[in-house]
Amino acid sequence: MAYILQRVAFSALSLFVLVFITFLLSHVVPGDPAIAAAGPNAGAEKIAALRTEMGLDEPFVTQFLIYCGNILQGDLGTSWFTHQPILDDLLRELPPSLELVVIAMVINLAISLPVGLLTARYNGTTFDDIVRLFAMAGAGLPIFWTAILLQQSFAADWQLFPVAGRIGFEYRAFEGITGFYLLDSILRGRPDVFFDVLSHLILPAFALSLLFTAVGVRITRTSMIGEFRKDYVTLARAKGAGEGRIMFRHVFPNGATPSLTVFGMQFGWMLGATVLVEEIFGRPGIGRYAVKAVTQSDIHGVVAVVFVVGLVFLLANLAVDMTLYALSPRKRAEG
Amino acid sequence: MGNLTSYPKGALEWAAIFLAVAILIMALFGGWFTPYDPLQIDFRGKLQPPSGEHWLGTDGSGRDVLSRLMAGAQLTILSTLVVIAVVLVIGCAIGITSAFVGGWLDNLLMRLADIWLGFPPLILALGFAAALGSSLEAAIWALIFSWWPNYARLSRMITNDILSEPFVAGATALGVPTWRKVVFYVIPNAFDVLIIQVTLDISAVMLAISGLSFIGVGAQIPAPEWGAMIAGGRAHAGSAWWVVMVPGLAIFVTALAFNIIGDMLRRELDPTTRRRA
Repeated sequence: MAYILQRVAFSALSLFVLVFITFLLSHVVPGDPAIAAAGPNAGAEKIAALRTEMGLDEPFVTQFLIYCGNILQGDLGTSWFTHQPILDDLLRELPPSLELVVIAMVINLAISLPVGLLTARYNGTTFDDIVRLFAMAGAGLPIFWTAILLQQSFAADWQLFPVAGRIGFEYRAFEGITGFYLLDSILRGRPDVFFDVLSHLILPAFALSLLFTAVGVRITRTSMIGEFRKDYVTLARAKGAGEGRIMFRHVFPNGATPSLTVFGMQFGWMLGATVLVEEIFGRPGIGRYAVKAVTQSDIHGVVAVVFVVGLVFLLANLAVDMTLYALSPRKRAEG
Repeated sequence: MGNLTSYPKGALEWAAIFLAVAILIMALFGGWFTPYDPLQIDFRGKLQPPSGEHWLGTDGSGRDVLSRLMAGAQLTILSTLVVIAVVLVIGCAIGITSAFVGGWLDNLLMRLADIWLGFPPLILALGFAAALGSSLEAAIWALIFSWWPNYARLSRMITNDILSEPFVAGATALGVPTWRKVVFYVIPNAFDVLIIQVTLDISAVMLAISGLSFIGVGAQIPAPEWGAMIAGGRAHAGSAWWVVMVPGLAIFVTALAFNIIGDMLRRELDPTTRRRA
């Protein structure tokens, strides 16, 4: 229990730092936030009114407290280019991004875990060398470049996948329930919509996952190698357990646990990296929202995305920690 | 610190070292030897495929891609090196101070570094660069702002290890001043681990800088920064492959070369593998 409390306390502390950083980004770094908030075409009167309204005549600490209060009430400001409350915008844009990240994570895990296990088992062979080279190459691929190349070849030239968008034109009338179209299409019993949405997800998810998979394979390999060297593996071999049983029944569950922490962190990083992918594939989402906000010099829109990604990141890490706690008898006994 | 030249290397490692040196030379001096002006617009000569006249073709505004690539190396790679150099100095200053002072300051700084390390660096840098007003300088500041905890954590860990060695206790008894301990004990011992981290970070920081420029918060479009070149060439990706392919390959090859060197250094210098041998 002490362990859980400690993790929750750390997350709360991180949340406070996150709020402070976004406060600095929106109120302190850009110079006069009233000019920033009023927009590019505001007059002097509007700016002066805004200054009072935003409490900029107040001392620094009071301003920060007002900011915290606003965030607690879900007030992230108003966007200049959609003229909507930013919170509403983000709630609409978050499901498509999460959908993309989940599929990218599935691709990542489906490659990282088995390949990591096999390279650990065949450590030092040519197979290991080839995978290592691929991992180094993957870690050097610019996500946005891969995305453009995949789109150009698989979608535009060979027409295997749709070029852009989230759902096909013929399904444009499809109404979601949750905003997650994959889930919605199952709930509504529409396999045709499901596969259409999935085909729109494959290329962007693959482009997004490559860099993270390269890291994932190496992390998994390292922790699996450590596991293969442990005494219980020698014991299992001595007792005559088959290599398959040792690999999948003994080494895999133990070796996969530490890498779960890394995959948890990757979830948040991937959500951040959607800024490099969604715009290219013309998908709605917080990444494209952030890029639009940048081009419109809408600092509050950008900062809100920073906040939401940070928040999802904290929650994902907390969830992974809880899962590891539930899975590990040793941690439960200690804590 | 071992003799860097004595390690056995394969053809791959040699190729990576050769490439890395060539790329660094291009980043330092390439801007002076471009065959054309990298910003010279020529609408009548736009989107020409690679030829004897334009080795890597021309882009959508008729600018020579090879010239832009050479001039851009300076922007992309030197900014990367600036970020890493500053982060290395600041991070190590924080980490070493933290380890020497200890107590609540150590606790505070390392908690802060842990929290910071948590947030995705790209998105943190995006926020910071947007707040500063989009430019290459903003992107550089933004990355410094988000990258320091890596080095603070690493240098604090190494310093703590060294401070727990018996010879340091002996030195303290003999009255060796703190600055001598930092210069003669900590820095030489930290060198190996830091050089590995720096080499591996070059590709990560470079991808971040070019990514920020691609989104539009880094170098702005006519500038030949490699990420900005890809952003500018995107519209022509279908009709003129070289406009997107060339700067992307440049980023990829540079990142790969430094990753291979970093991987080699890790296998040869990493104290955990070396002690075992």
